[in-house]
Amino acid sequence: MARRKPRTLRIALASALLVALSLGLVVLSTYLLGLDREIRERFAGARWALPAQVYAAPMELYTGLDIAPTELVHELNRLGYREDPRLSGPGSFLPSRTQVDIHLREFAFWDGLQPAQTLAVRFGGDSITSIVRVADGAPVDIFRLDPMLIGSIFPSHGEDRVLVRIDEVPPLLVKGLIAVEDRQFYGHFGISPRSILRAMVANLRAGRVVQGGSTITQQLVKNFFLSNRQTWARKINEAFMALLIERHYDKDQILEAYLNEVHLGQDGSRAVHGFGLGARFYFNKPLEELEPQEVALLVGLIKGTSYYNPRRNAERALARRDLVLGVFFEDGLIDEAAYQRALAAPLGVDGGRIGGAERYPAFVELVKRQLRGQYDDADLTDEGLRIFTTLNPRAQEVLERHIVESVAEIERSRKMKPQTLQAAGVITSADGGEVMALVGGRDVRYAGFNRALDSQRPIGSLVKPFVYLTALERPGEFNLHSILPDEPIELRLPHGALWAPRNYDKQFHGPQPLYRALAQSYNLPTVYTGLQVGAEQVLRTIRRAGYEGDAQALPSLFLGAIGMSPLQVAEIYGTLAAGGFQAPPSAIREVQTKDGEPLSRYPIAVRQTLPDGPVYLVGWGLQRVVAEGTGRGVYAALPGSAVVAGKTGTTDDYRDSWFAGFSADRVAVVWVGRDDNQPTGLSGSSGALPVWARVMRDLRVRNFDPIPPASVETLRVDRLTGQRADDGCAETIEVPFMVGWGPQEWAPCAYGGERSPLRWLRDIFER
Amino acid sequence: MDVIDDARAGRRALPPMIALALLASACGGTQGTHKVWSEPEPAIVGQPVDPAVETAPARPLPPRGIDDAPGQPQRAEDISGAAVTALMRQARSALDSGEPQHAASALERALRIEPRNYFVWSLLGQAYLAQDNYSQADSVAAKSNALARGNAYVELSNWRTIAAARAALGDAAGAGAAQARQRELEQWLQDGSR
Repeated sequence: MARRKPRTLRIALASALLVALSLGLVVLSTYLLGLDREIRERFAGARWALPAQVYAAPMELYTGLDIAPTELVHELNRLGYREDPRLSGPGSFLPSRTQVDIHLREFAFWDGLQPAQTLAVRFGGDSITSIVRVADGAPVDIFRLDPMLIGSIFPSHGEDRVLVRIDEVPPLLVKGLIAVEDRQFYGHFGISPRSILRAMVANLRAGRVVQGGSTITQQLVKNFFLSNRQTWARKINEAFMALLIERHYDKDQILEAYLNEVHLGQDGSRAVHGFGLGARFYFNKPLEELEPQEVALLVGLIKGTSYYNPRRNAERALARRDLVLGVFFEDGLIDEAAYQRALAAPLGVDGGRIGGAERYPAFVELVKRQLRGQYDDADLTDEGLRIFTTLNPRAQEVLERHIVESVAEIERSRKMKPQTLQAAGVITSADGGEVMALVGGRDVRYAGFNRALDSQRPIGSLVKPFVYLTALERPGEFNLHSILPDEPIELRLPHGALWAPRNYDKQFHGPQPLYRALAQSYNLPTVYTGLQVGAEQVLRTIRRAGYEGDAQALPSLFLGAIGMSPLQVAEIYGTLAAGGFQAPPSAIREVQTKDGEPLSRYPIAVRQTLPDGPVYLVGWGLQRVVAEGTGRGVYAALPGSAVVAGKTGTTDDYRDSWFAGFSADRVAVVWVGRDDNQPTGLSGSSGALPVWARVMRDLRVRNFDPIPPASVETLRVDRLTGQRADDGCAETIEVPFMVGWGPQEWAPCAYGGERSPLRWLRDIFER
Repeated sequence: MDVIDDARAGRRALPPMIALALLASACGGTQGTHKVWSEPEPAIVGQPVDPAVETAPARPLPPRGIDDAPGQPQRAEDISGAAVTALMRQARSALDSGEPQHAASALERALRIEPRNYFVWSLLGQAYLAQDNYSQADSVAAKSNALARGNAYVELSNWRTIAAARAALGDAAGAGAAQARQRELEQWLQDGSR
């Protein structure tokens, strides 16, 4: 009996233990199964939400293009190409005075892949005379540089990344990463007891945490799933998950995930993840083109992206980089020569936020708005779409520079309080409405209030071409030489107030031909004309040119009491530039999936909404504005041979200063004013005009030279009377008229169509 | 100022001249912008087509003698640079292989280089037609016409595009007008080549 009792006890105990153990096993298994599922879901599904990548327009290079070798080199530098006499890989170039050799990067354009290749671009003066493929000497008619990555669309407070595949990653990065972060990576099973032990010893000796024992797998888990809290539960979770990951996936898959997941920096609300974006963010080039010291810097950053931030803590970053380079060298990953070269190289970090991404916030905002109609937010932030835009970095650079410089210059010269003036501007292509450059304010990198899109300011005299266009559509009543009165006008408005518009100079200039009233921007002849044709008709003309707002058809419309953004002005002036063909402004050309499959195209859309004849006449009038009127100042910047058309705009008390105009190929609009809508003392000619003229000069625009439509004929008229003129008249001007509606009467001074022998006879008699 | 005075003097001396001038004009001189035709004025005069659609009125066809060759560029290559020629070749082969989107994409590249090349706009109209984008086909062909400076070959091709686009849109009257214009041009070109 005495022996039976303990035995029962033992059995009971053993059973209890077994049950507990089984229960424990069940709990553990459930727990592990849960972890396992989580891991596989994370790995198998779309692993990352991939922000859409936004590209600028690619630069086309072809025989006959006007570009100097130095400008091409500037462009290549912008794209992160490096000068390399050996042209050793894609993304390198070799310049000389008359030739630039380029080792082109491969790029998947919307319409197909352009392979990596070496091209010799030859110049004669400032234009390209030939392009030859070096490999076989074959002539190349045209090719594109890879477009600049200008931003990505990521969720607010979100992660941004550029995905890379393990086989695209430079071997030095993989080996160097393992050497620095986890030497036993290829040997351990997820956790490395030896590393943990070594770290413990090191930490005990130092009396603080100097070394981490986490493997790359553990770090990946930490980044992937878990918060940053240092708890035991978290540590255990992390260890189990690391073990499970290693069971399911091979080392390369784990490494690839790590390379794309690791956090490498912060840019405002944007978290920079992965080496693909890291290379872009810090060095403005693709990962595969990084040099040893650049790889070392990125690898070194993992230890502390903020502490070693090369932009803010350059010395620390440099020391860390050199330490990592030392490891590379000791492990035989780089030879002595490469090591010394790398040590001698500067940090080479692209300055601040100008590294491509987030460089053009105002333009990218326009892109987002245009995409929003067609794509959900989630498509844009998660699917890795590739968005090809119309942004022309060269035009953008020109517009930015002149807006920033001129606004500061005006403040200085007029002794204004600094930073009180604001400005915005737009450049579009004349025939397709493509937005090539957009500046939303003088702080061009700041994604704040976008004046180019969102400010609605009265356009003042910019409206006058549309008043006169409405009139010129009635050729029986108006032509460019119609004499308009410049006399006081008083109007009783519907709500009883008296409206008595005046000219800007408060003077009366006597009867004026229509074109001169436009050129000199006289208000009273414009109001007179507007009253003849009616405000509804004028508003209709503005709408046909592309305006979609809800302005009211009141007489004040004739002097520009209609609010528009610079982009809207560019649209309505674009219709004048394109002979009456209206094109909605577009910022996007194509969208691709992340794998390079074409998804959608945004074709240029043109529609004739205004008649070609009257538009031609107004275009002629706008040339007079810059030739002899309020726009004369453009020739302070533009060469005398340049032919452009444009209009100044000034609003009441000098609150808004506008200039809008075009060449054959470009439409540009500039606004200068204050956010609080206070007077600036600037007219259109003194504020916006110089900016516009400098922009057009630096864009090297083509001369405005519209093709006269069949409905128009050009006649020589006497400046004095507006009647037909010939060599008998001293002061004549060639004016276009609608066919059949020009002056019929000969001016008194004219010979009146006598035939030449007769004239010869008369010349003799009169001597 | 001297010149003006001279002119005034001339005016004073005018009356005796008037009789002579009248005589001269009666002798068959012309004045103003009337051109002197070497042949009798031709019967073919372009009628503005369907002004309601707001396309540019058709440019009147210049007079044609039996012998004079049109002298107008017939092929894109005649007015295009090498780059645009290459892109148009790409576009044509894309159209032939049933990829009008790619054709349009290549043509838009060409237009960025030569925005006023009416051959490119014309082919872009055909690319839109192939994509069943009829209103754009119509518009883009009209744009080509506006730039073509009366080039009969291009205009003929554009009116074909316009006629097809309008027919597809159910605009029978507009299509008819475009076809009439098309026939006129065909006739005109035929007369010239005989």
